[in-house]
Amino acid sequence: MARLIRTEKEVEGRFEEVWIVVEEDPLEQWPAGPLAVVGRPAPRKDGHERVRGEARYTADLKLPGMLHAAVLRSPHAHAKVRRIDLAPALALPGVRGAIGPGEAPGLAEEPGFSGAAVAAVAADTFGQARAAVEAIEIEWEELEVVIDPDDAVRRELLMAEPRHYARGDVEKALAEADVVVEATYRTQTVLHNSLETHQALCEWQGDALHVYISTQYIWGIRQAVAETLGLPEDKVRVVCEYMGGGFGSKNGPDEYTFVAAELAKRTGRPVRCALTRREEHTSAGNRNATIQRLRAGARSDGTIIALEGEFTNSVGWSGWNASTEGPMRMLYDCENVRTVTYGAQLNTPPMKAFRAPGFVEGTFGLECMVDELAAKLDVDPLELRRRNYASSNDGTPFSSKNLEDCYRQAEPHWERRHEVRARSDVVWKRGVGMASQIWYGGGGPPSYAWVRLGSDGRATVITAMQDIGTGTRTAMAQIAAEELGVPLEQVDVVLGDSARGAYASISAGSSTLPSMGPAVRAAAADAREQVEDIAEQRGLPKDTPLQEIVAVLEESQILGKGARGPNPAGMSVLTFGVHVVEVAVDVETGEVQVERVAAIHDVGRIVNPLGASSQVEGGIIQGIGHTLSEARLLDPETGRVLTTSLDAYRMPTIADVPEIVCEFVDRPDEHLTNLGSKGLGEPPIVPIAAAIANAIRDATGADVHELPITREEMLRALREAQQRERETEKRGAPAAV
Amino acid sequence: MELLRPSSVQEVDGGVFLHGGSEVVPLLREGLLEAERLVDVRGVVPRGVQDGVIGAGTTLAELEVEPVIPDALREACRLAASPQLRNMSSLGGNLLQSTRCWYWRLGYRCRLHGGDRCHAQEGEHREHAIFANGFCASAHPSDVATALVALGAQLRTSRRELSIQELYRVPDEGDRSTTTLEDGELLLEVELPPVEASVYLKAMDRKRWSFPQVGVAVARHSDGSTRIALAGVAPIPWRIESADELDTATPLPRTEWKVPLARALVRRALAQLA
Repeated sequence: MARLIRTEKEVEGRFEEVWIVVEEDPLEQWPAGPLAVVGRPAPRKDGHERVRGEARYTADLKLPGMLHAAVLRSPHAHAKVRRIDLAPALALPGVRGAIGPGEAPGLAEEPGFSGAAVAAVAADTFGQARAAVEAIEIEWEELEVVIDPDDAVRRELLMAEPRHYARGDVEKALAEADVVVEATYRTQTVLHNSLETHQALCEWQGDALHVYISTQYIWGIRQAVAETLGLPEDKVRVVCEYMGGGFGSKNGPDEYTFVAAELAKRTGRPVRCALTRREEHTSAGNRNATIQRLRAGARSDGTIIALEGEFTNSVGWSGWNASTEGPMRMLYDCENVRTVTYGAQLNTPPMKAFRAPGFVEGTFGLECMVDELAAKLDVDPLELRRRNYASSNDGTPFSSKNLEDCYRQAEPHWERRHEVRARSDVVWKRGVGMASQIWYGGGGPPSYAWVRLGSDGRATVITAMQDIGTGTRTAMAQIAAEELGVPLEQVDVVLGDSARGAYASISAGSSTLPSMGPAVRAAAADAREQVEDIAEQRGLPKDTPLQEIVAVLEESQILGKGARGPNPAGMSVLTFGVHVVEVAVDVETGEVQVERVAAIHDVGRIVNPLGASSQVEGGIIQGIGHTLSEARLLDPETGRVLTTSLDAYRMPTIADVPEIVCEFVDRPDEHLTNLGSKGLGEPPIVPIAAAIANAIRDATGADVHELPITREEMLRALREAQQRERETEKRGAPAAV
Repeated sequence: MELLRPSSVQEVDGGVFLHGGSEVVPLLREGLLEAERLVDVRGVVPRGVQDGVIGAGTTLAELEVEPVIPDALREACRLAASPQLRNMSSLGGNLLQSTRCWYWRLGYRCRLHGGDRCHAQEGEHREHAIFANGFCASAHPSDVATALVALGAQLRTSRRELSIQELYRVPDEGDRSTTTLEDGELLLEVELPPVEASVYLKAMDRKRWSFPQVGVAVARHSDGSTRIALAGVAPIPWRIESADELDTATPLPRTEWKVPLARALVRRALAQLA
């Protein structure tokens, strides 16, 4: 039965209080551990379709009469369109329509970053559209450009009021601390670089708009497009059958969708608007850079008694002030914590959510500082983390927390450090480092699924959700198969179309599985109960295989319906983990080589161990790019992006991938839904940068403070460590006499 | 635009030469190169290795498995680009590739593009030159060219013979070009003198598919001399007489890190040569 509740809804670490209608979740959780299908490794159900090129992504779609749009983007980081003339573009061959500032949402008259959309053209071919965009005549009035985040904070150019947090008395605790460390950490701007660029294909059918789009949130697109264009939501159909990644950058419709919709309306033809790779680098969002000025104080026994941080997020022209301070507030049991977080509004491309926004950056600073503290205290880093273990989230109990088990499972990997260090030579220094992870990932209501069962014993899970590429189809099929008691092969999953299924969760904030999985299970349970009814009416024994029971159905079908129940009231649902990393550093050339990563995560019940390890590997590889080689660079004078191609913006290649060992605690969260599963999309990218930096310190004694850890930063840190050593020797010499 | 496919060198008469296309095609697409006439020279440029002479049409993929060429050249080919690019890219094209300077690649009106300033000097220059960077701070990206400078290669074009070092020139106010090739002059062959030993070392910011941050080629010649050449440190492949010459480098603030890196690689390469 549905009931109305007031609840806190969390997405990507952002909270809002909402009224929500939820259904009861009366099913008991399955017992822990591998079951018949759930908890067993399952290859992707759509793997063959994908590798054979049969899976249809938005980029593959072609509709009859389809036109291609190209977008005119501002060359200036801040400017005003004084005059624009679309006529020269409209006169060119193949051009069917052109729109300028104000004629579609997202086409700006006063663009605030270089790469912001200003005008767009639709033509028979993309080449013609591009040529027409070049022909648009435009006069600019250039405006003042602000790209320095500290400058923006000083001038109070902020996205929102600074976010203050405090508990206890930090000043007093720092004064009483036996050891204090203080450091400034910086993280760079990085790009999502999804394999499939941002794109939408729009077609009007009467007064209804069909939007084919590469998205993480079918229902969010439907709602936002309907609201923005003033349409009833039922007149917007959103389709995304397969998508080539999003990482947080495809949660909303953005200008390309509205450009396609408007040009489709004007031309009466379907219109595709797809970003090029270069546009992806200038205009599709990023993980913002941060500056983190941190202090920590501890007693000599290793108790952390004070944590203080001033965080500046270089948000860009749009975006939000992510919780870079979150790990400092939540990871450790520390009585005195004070943070302030500024979100600088700059004339730079927009921030968008990127795989654990804020926490990736904040964990780098915090966990590096904790290891600097451990070194100063001469306490083992693992031991220091255990001594400051948080047993509640600032007073709120955890629905489940098994970080202690992660630490225990990490021990054999941590123990390898003696042997790893011993393999150092004059040039290559080796070491081991660790970092812990805390992040959200509990999902929430609503989400709905249907299960359709025919007389052949085959079941179809129907839900209008998207598969962002994480193996959603497989996991959902496993859950339904387990509940129905049928082999995995007998379950299909139909998703990707708002016209063919009920509301489903966003695939962001590690929420797909914890939001949708319980609804799928509930729908399958509803179907199973109906099957059991039929068995009883036929006088069949309880253990009769489902296929035999439903054989009498003929054209009749069994329809099961399920909904996601509420999250546990008064509890923090969070994910945890620890990474232990082995590195080698060439101390002469500053080359850093990650040799081995052991990742242990606590995310409740594991549904598909194979899919789960893929998530961990993907997060770690993306995190290695963030840590070592990726940086979106701007021209300091104009604010234009310089790294617009994949040879200038360097993501890891397969040759950069180390040995990765994935382990899970795999214990259902007994308070969380009928499934006990949390999400795993984001947790693996959270601790990797700090773990690498800490391994570098273990290997070389050098404190790296900046991402990416380029040779420049590595050689600087090595030089600084050498100087420190020389000074210590000098100071130490007289005492030894 | 017309595409010509000449069948002899004599037929070649100007135009933009196209071989593997891994450089020219992206430049055309980005509008950094304009061509009324494209000349596919694959039919006229020699390909393969014979008696110490390498056809300029030989691909890097062919060279990286070629046993008779010096180690430094083979290694420079192996560490360049990606397998897909090495399958397409010719030796001649590699020697004539343009800088990866982002300002140049994005079409800023810099000195190499005929403008009056070097944007990198005041701007984002962390990957730029530490030698000869007063006029243009771009860094030369070719591993292969650097190996050939150390190896003392001789080149034959459709018009003349010259040393590899004579192929390159530091751009200046009067002439913005980084090579001495004339319009319509086609690179045909590379001849290598015998060397006793050679080494190529390359620093990248990831393991593969990256232009050199610093590349170092060293070769010990039969007259007992050792030649050292560097990639990624000057607008052209840069020869230095000894490691000490790195003390005379003039790095920009954010390229200072290249000096100790180059020093370490030179020392290492010389040690490997011994």
